Amino acid sequence: MKLFNKDIDRRLVEYSVAHHKKITLVMLIATVILACFIPKVQVDTDPENMLSSDEPVRVYHHKMKKEFTIYDLVVLGIVNETNPHGVYNPETLKKVYDLTQFVKTLNWKENGEEVGVVGPEVMAPSEVDHVSNLGMGTISFEWLVKTPPKTQKEADEFKIKAKSNPLLLDTVFSRDDKAVAIYIPLTSKDVGYRVYKQINKYIKEHYSGSQEKFYLSGLPVAEDTFGVEMFLQMVISAPMAMLVVFLLMLAFFRKIILVISPMIVAIISIICTMGLLIAFGYSIHIMTSMIPIFLMPIAVVDSVHILSEFFDRYTPERGRRAVIIEVMHELFVPMLYTSLTSAAGFASLALTPIPPVQIFGLFVAVGIMIAWICTVTFVPAYVMMISEKSLANFGNSTGKISRESPMARSLHWLGRFVFKHAKSVIVASVLISIISVIGITKIHVNDNPVRWFTLRHPIRIADIELNKHFGGTYMSYLVLDQKQDDTDLVSYAQNLSKDFDAQIPKWKEQGYANVDKVASQMKELFLKLSKTAKSKSELLNAVFDEAYERSFNADSGDEVETWDVVGEYFGLKDEALKQFKQPENLRYISKLQKYLLDSGLVGKSNSLSDIVKKIYQELIDGKQSNYRIPDSSRAVAQCLMQYQSGHKPYDLWHFVTNDFRHANIWLQLKSGDNKDMKKVIAVVNEFIKKNPIPNNLELHWAGLTYINVVWQEKMVFGMLQSFMGSFLVVFVMMVLLFRSVGWGLLCMTPLTITILLIYGATGFVGKDYDMPTAVLSSLTLGMAVDFAIHFIQRVRATHVGNSSWRGTNKIMFGEPARAISRNVIVIAVGFLPLLAAGLVPYKTVGIMLCCIMALSGSITLVLLPAMIKVWRSRLFCECKSVRCASCSFIMCSVVSVSMLIIVVLCVEQYIKSGLSELLMIAGATGLVLLIASYLFTRRKRCRDLQELKESDGV
Amino acid sequence: MKKITIIISVLALTGVSLAVESAKLSVAEIVNKANIAAYYQGKDAKARVHMDIIGDNGSRKVRDFIILRKTIVDGGDQKFYVYFNSPADIRRMVFMVHKHVGEGNQDDRWLYLPSLDLVNRIAAGDKRTSFVGSDYFYEDVSGRDLSEDTHELVGETDKYYIIRNTPKKPDEVEFNYYDLSIDKKTFLPIKIFFYDKSNILYRKIEVLKVAIIQGHPTAIDILVTNLAAKSKTRMVFTGVKYDIGLPDIFTERYLRVAPRKYLR
Repeated sequence: MKLFNKDIDRRLVEYSVAHHKKITLVMLIATVILACFIPKVQVDTDPENMLSSDEPVRVYHHKMKKEFTIYDLVVLGIVNETNPHGVYNPETLKKVYDLTQFVKTLNWKENGEEVGVVGPEVMAPSEVDHVSNLGMGTISFEWLVKTPPKTQKEADEFKIKAKSNPLLLDTVFSRDDKAVAIYIPLTSKDVGYRVYKQINKYIKEHYSGSQEKFYLSGLPVAEDTFGVEMFLQMVISAPMAMLVVFLLMLAFFRKIILVISPMIVAIISIICTMGLLIAFGYSIHIMTSMIPIFLMPIAVVDSVHILSEFFDRYTPERGRRAVIIEVMHELFVPMLYTSLTSAAGFASLALTPIPPVQIFGLFVAVGIMIAWICTVTFVPAYVMMISEKSLANFGNSTGKISRESPMARSLHWLGRFVFKHAKSVIVASVLISIISVIGITKIHVNDNPVRWFTLRHPIRIADIELNKHFGGTYMSYLVLDQKQDDTDLVSYAQNLSKDFDAQIPKWKEQGYANVDKVASQMKELFLKLSKTAKSKSELLNAVFDEAYERSFNADSGDEVETWDVVGEYFGLKDEALKQFKQPENLRYISKLQKYLLDSGLVGKSNSLSDIVKKIYQELIDGKQSNYRIPDSSRAVAQCLMQYQSGHKPYDLWHFVTNDFRHANIWLQLKSGDNKDMKKVIAVVNEFIKKNPIPNNLELHWAGLTYINVVWQEKMVFGMLQSFMGSFLVVFVMMVLLFRSVGWGLLCMTPLTITILLIYGATGFVGKDYDMPTAVLSSLTLGMAVDFAIHFIQRVRATHVGNSSWRGTNKIMFGEPARAISRNVIVIAVGFLPLLAAGLVPYKTVGIMLCCIMALSGSITLVLLPAMIKVWRSRLFCECKSVRCASCSFIMCSVVSVSMLIIVVLCVEQYIKSGLSELLMIAGATGLVLLIASYLFTRRKRCRDLQELKESDGV
Repeated sequence: MKKITIIISVLALTGVSLAVESAKLSVAEIVNKANIAAYYQGKDAKARVHMDIIGDNGSRKVRDFIILRKTIVDGGDQKFYVYFNSPADIRRMVFMVHKHVGEGNQDDRWLYLPSLDLVNRIAAGDKRTSFVGSDYFYEDVSGRDLSEDTHELVGETDKYYIIRNTPKKPDEVEFNYYDLSIDKKTFLPIKIFFYDKSNILYRKIEVLKVAIIQGHPTAIDILVTNLAAKSKTRMVFTGVKYDIGLPDIFTERYLRVAPRKYLR
């Protein structure tokens, strides 16, 4: 199993050294070409795109948004804590009024379409009706605010009106009188930031220094603003990190001209990767915006290894050419493998069911390989371009710099310590791992786009303030759908006609004229139409309309009434099919709303039931006791007809579709945390368990807050799956690289412990497991294994000629340990500037990168030598030699079973059902593979080899 | 006999139009004639109306009702009775108006809800609210009082006079002004365009079809478009009859017991 011709690396390096100018030119041209695509960048900050656009929950969400004409909402809160009347004073109310008028004008044309704020749908005191019963059977509909109150007395009167409507309390008006909110619907989320900026500008221009405070929040603003600030961070953080990395390298290697080369490698690979990404037509998403930050450490690492070795070995006598060729030869295989493993780690993200993460993973993998090509070709070429003169006084040329440095001394001490306490180190590692596992069980998965901003960010402050005063700024929609009716129309018609016949004597008794004639005509028509109609509703309506039509040609005035009553029979049957005109269903909705409110998780909810109750109350007498659902569906229908006689008849269709088959409960949540949304879902399920849902209805969720939960759940499971996949891929690669299961396992140890520690600590600290945290596991995998590869490769190269482990240990803690340590420090410290970022995910990446590097580096340096010391006799066993690798049963079976699991992990995604079947097939295949491995390793060649070895031994 | 009436009415019509051509009319005259043409044809009238409401998302809602109208004073007070037939669950619902013309006079409005057996007076005040969920306003049903606006002739084409109407109390309404395109021959308002406080057209009423019924040019197909809410309402009139000899059925008593005879 040879991946590369032994000479290929030497030839490649020699070619680069010889044609260094050509190499540099080619690289430059390629970079410039790809850089040309970068200006075509398109940004996509919509977390909804974490799910592919055909994901059922998204499709449903958009269908519901259209059916109920729901828009994404921004909440503008006006808070007055200083005035004794709260917001109910003429000045504040005037501001609220003016702001509303201003907000309604915030729309513009984009590609011929009107975008921005949906003016007629703005919800504010001056945009809603006040319905009231004035007594003596008089009902009044008026704008709640026609012109803002001019005196305190008017403001006081207004307060009474404002707070009388339960639909508005906690939504538009706060209970504590201190706040009022304007709900601003947007044509789409991506105008959020522009609207946000313009409103803020208006407030600054008109109301700076006023006693009111103005807050803007809501997911669309948070998500769109994040996108804008994300770019700012990319422009500030990535170069800052680069600068720090550069300065650190300068401190280590002291030659500015040499240190520039890793920076060039990093920049080239970042530009090429981003250029490719954009050239392929992908937009920059929250995930992909992090590509530069992830690529930088990986791109720099290999060059740091080269420089470190070069630094330690260079003497003017040997010359740069000989030294660089030697260094490259030594590092070629480990660099190739570290790059391949890192790339595999990221590429495995393609296994997650989240499109932006897939793209992120694949392009980081591509970037890593670009960086590798740059490193093995460009770095030697670059070294050749530096004159020997400028390398004077470089590195080890003076002899003893590094040996005397504090780093060198402490590493030697560490080497001696590990050698002495090998067993204790292993025991301690096991203990730490166990504790970490406990920490991992404490991890809570959670995310919330608003929390991507730090506590000092205006959006975060607004979020906290507004949720203190109102029902909540996070919207979620609970939709009740009438189930598809699939009863056969003809048999339905026959059943109904029996019921119809039973009515005839009753109508006769009531004295209707010509009942027999009318009834038989209508029944005949009904049965005839039932054969062609498409739905019950269509059938019943057709008969109802026809009866009305025929009534105009009635024989007498009396017969008209017969036509009416007979027609009405069918018309009302149709109305009875409309579930959300039925009082019992409206009461069910009310009960559910109350249950949710009592749970404390939902701050406010509004539904069709609330509208019906309010209108019924005002129609009857305005008394609280009549704030209830009327007893018949016709009464419900007539209440709703009244509601539609207001200024905003369309508002009704936010809560029910016009066929009354789908109803929407608008929930306002105080927290957008996914864990809180999940609790709400649990409470709804609990309610349904206690109060079974009417059997012809179904319940579904929609809304951004819910969508975030769905993709998060996919992410957690997807990441775990992809992590397992890449872990196995890397493991197989290691087994093949070292041609030994033992060394492969050893190589996986530092990264396993690093990951356990990182996520264990995450669990103990109480940090939410969110998107960046999840994605970092792939980075850990790629980076942590790097050090182990370098270390083990050197151990195996060194130990051949050195029989005592003590000696090897000492060598290992010289030059190789220094290279690893330099790398750790460069990257760990280099990313600390991310902590200054105003966006939480960037901070997370900064801290985690720092910890990952520090941990994986030190675990490699401490644990690997300890383990090698303890198990060296097994590890250095003769039979693990190259030639008999394919004859080792253990190796064959481990590799083939690992591959099988990888395949299962890949296939699992595409199989929607039948997971158990898949597992059974996998089990059977595994057994077959084991038998095959057994037979394969017992084949003649292997037996011959075995005999040969035994005779050699003798 | 029928033929003769038609001929006479056609003659009468051309006579009217000739008269218009010959004399230059004042704005007040045009506005008055338009008001009469739109709301005061015949002593009384009856029509069957089919209303189709088409929402922004393509949803459709249907209302069917019969409208009875009786003029008390020509160009002045009137009474309206609107009886709903469809959808079935609002059948027998009635909306009634006693229109009082003249500055400061408020209309009286009632609504009868049969399922609650409830007669509600609708408080005076805002008449620019939706008529049963359509893009029509209550005010459009009975007509806006001429005294509420000032009128000026802002243009004239071959076919239309264009009259701009500006409210005297701008705080009471949502528009800044509206332009009427009045047919020079029939004096029927054919287009009414409403402009909001930023002078942007946001609502329009257009007559799609006019028929001459019993000699009266009558709008029988009207489309109202709410450009802001992107909603439309179309009203088609059938069975229009003038001078049917309506007695005074415009009382609270007849809300509960509909005058069947006049509703077919």
